[in-house]
Amino acid sequence: MSTNVLLPGFREAPLDEDFEEFYINMGPQHPSTHGALRLVLRLDGEKIIEVVPHLGYIHRGMEKQAEKLNYIQYIMMSDRQDYLTAIQNNLGVCLALEKGTKIGVPERAEYIRVILAELSRIASHLVFYACFGGDLGGQTVLLYGFKEREMIHDIFEEVTGSRLTTNFFRPGGSNKDIPDTFVPRVKALLKHLESALSDYDRLLTKNIAAMDRSVGVGVLSKEDAIAYGCSGPVLRASGVSYDVRKNDPYSIYASLDFKVPVFYNGDCYDRYLIRFEEMYESIKIIKQCIDKIPSGPYRSKEKPIFKLPNGSFYAATETAKGLYGTYVVSTGGNSPYRIHTRSPSFGNLAALNTMAKGQRLSDLVTILATIDPVIPEIDR
Amino acid sequence: MGIMPFIPKILDPVPGGKTIVNMVDYVVNWARANSLWPLTYGTSCCAIEMMSSSMARYDIARFGSEVFRDSPRQADLFIIAGTITKRMAPAVQMLWEQIPGPKYSIAMGACTISGGPFRYDNYAVVRGAEQVIPVDVFIPGCPPRPEALFHGLLKLREKIMKESSRNPWKEGALSESEERNRYKEAAAAWAELEKIKDEEMAIAREQFKSNPPENYVPYKAIRVQKETFPDIPLKENLQVGKSTESLFEIAKKYSPEIQIHTENNEILHLSVSKEQYFSLVESLKKDSEMNLDYLIDVTAVDYENHFELVAQLMSITLGHKVFIHVDLLKENVPEETKDNALLASVSSLVPLYPAAEFKEREVFEMFGIHFESHPDLRHLFLDEDFKGFPLRKDFKHPHIIPKPV
Repeated sequence: MSTNVLLPGFREAPLDEDFEEFYINMGPQHPSTHGALRLVLRLDGEKIIEVVPHLGYIHRGMEKQAEKLNYIQYIMMSDRQDYLTAIQNNLGVCLALEKGTKIGVPERAEYIRVILAELSRIASHLVFYACFGGDLGGQTVLLYGFKEREMIHDIFEEVTGSRLTTNFFRPGGSNKDIPDTFVPRVKALLKHLESALSDYDRLLTKNIAAMDRSVGVGVLSKEDAIAYGCSGPVLRASGVSYDVRKNDPYSIYASLDFKVPVFYNGDCYDRYLIRFEEMYESIKIIKQCIDKIPSGPYRSKEKPIFKLPNGSFYAATETAKGLYGTYVVSTGGNSPYRIHTRSPSFGNLAALNTMAKGQRLSDLVTILATIDPVIPEIDR
Repeated sequence: MGIMPFIPKILDPVPGGKTIVNMVDYVVNWARANSLWPLTYGTSCCAIEMMSSSMARYDIARFGSEVFRDSPRQADLFIIAGTITKRMAPAVQMLWEQIPGPKYSIAMGACTISGGPFRYDNYAVVRGAEQVIPVDVFIPGCPPRPEALFHGLLKLREKIMKESSRNPWKEGALSESEERNRYKEAAAAWAELEKIKDEEMAIAREQFKSNPPENYVPYKAIRVQKETFPDIPLKENLQVGKSTESLFEIAKKYSPEIQIHTENNEILHLSVSKEQYFSLVESLKKDSEMNLDYLIDVTAVDYENHFELVAQLMSITLGHKVFIHVDLLKENVPEETKDNALLASVSSLVPLYPAAEFKEREVFEMFGIHFESHPDLRHLFLDEDFKGFPLRKDFKHPHIIPKPV
């Protein structure tokens, strides 16, 4: 289809007559769009001129529905935004609610929070590893990535009662105490993870097929990464050292010793490497915490009716995808007047067009995989 | 279907023909039930559990369904994994039409049964997959475990094994109305069962009382000790980088009329007039001490007479955050056009932050706030012809069912 009329959303000037320009629709059902994402591509032969994402295929109106729920019920909604890091989303919401009610958290609960959040980060990055390999055509990688993730979910199931949608943290601590088996199980897992991760490193990191398809592909400059509001591994792979855990620490992250890995090329390969480094750093964090879990209460005093005072409250957390912000506006009732989520994948997806411009059609799949978007989190 | 429907017509009159037909049916069903090829389709949480079920630990290959097909034309099982929204529904319908028959579908998870957690007070979610395509098996759970998916798969196999050339596969019916009576039917059936159970239990209780077993110890209630938790005050985080006071002094240089919106030690909340909004953000971005180079988010809040636009800004190098609140008075429009009219207008931040483009589009469609000089002000999440602005407080939509109290 060659036409001088641009489809909605496209902005680049029409090309010369010589070029064979056409449009392709990708999604909403496509194996490599990681859910219900629809992209419309403007191509010149196999070269991408422009990508326009069409969102909303899984827009569930969570923010509107939240106005009818009470605050504690909204924690359940946050599970269903980014289901790969559900427990980190719980934490993000709880931090915002704690700021409103001025509820503090006992030491034991802080350790539980950090350990579970970091386990969740490893699980999410393993899914990234699996899908990255799978999208490049390596079915083996897909199978391996999910193997260790199941072990983490076993722990989650024992602690929270659910594999994916945890709904575990509450303002002031957590829903339940951790079972006695938690510490030995996490220790055993860490021991296994270290050897498994080095195996996976050997499997894919220096693999010539994976490198050919990702080195120098989808480059995002430092300036663009900041301008488009990218966060998390996508931002840090472009040479910006910003991690909420380090730069705006919450919970007990300030007292922990960990590095924020930063890479400078901003291509798909760096976005892959950075997630691998982050998994090692998460293991380091859990190792520091696991022996130090203090005894004592796992939550602070519960209020009979949970209400927030007038005003607006904001808390940011670093999930596996990036900066997860919760903005709550309260008028004093027991349900939020307005609750808004700043989802990391939304910002990262905004930079997709910049990354994909000038690349081949097949590279778009690699780029999408390294953005690692979770569509329900974007659409909410 | 080819020759299959004619086999009984030809063979039934022949002596012993019925047995042959039954055997042929068995073989066909066996083959069909043991190689269900699912379509790669997933929208949300259930899709991840579906993926897990096909991986090493759970291994859906044991049931012959490991061949996930990316094209609907090669698949014969549609696992509807995840919420179906009104915007996605036509795509789901199209996928179902593209699958060649005989085809089967499994509705996985609470959202595809009734809308699940999104059933009430929601304008966007289809209440159950049965409104869109015919469903063979429903699996409850949010999300269901992989084992539950396998149970559903086995149930579907049982269903397929009951088919024959005398009773061939045909596409199931859709639910006719949105609020079909199946809940009432199910409730009535349950009530009857409960009644029988109660009667039987009453008899059993009588028997137990008159003739208790020898080692019977009557139940004694033990008071469970109530857990007490300490009252702990919140550790206050301070603003990273510069203090809010010094930041306010810097901001005051550029526009003396600005005020602090809310007192907060952590984040500087500024209140700015609509006219000064863009110029203030521009100068704060350029200021070397302030250096607000990162846009976290743009969002809005609807009040009775005005909207409050909140631009959440951050300096990624210095770490401090500044939230800028702008009050936008609602324009006076006739009452009958109010629901579909844009009620306020403000300048767009896209020239300063490209990140604002999608975020302002979201505010535009959710609140009906117009952004001047926005390059592409279209709907983002909702359909182009969607009527109304969902996040306004007076939003009404025919799809919404309020939650019964």
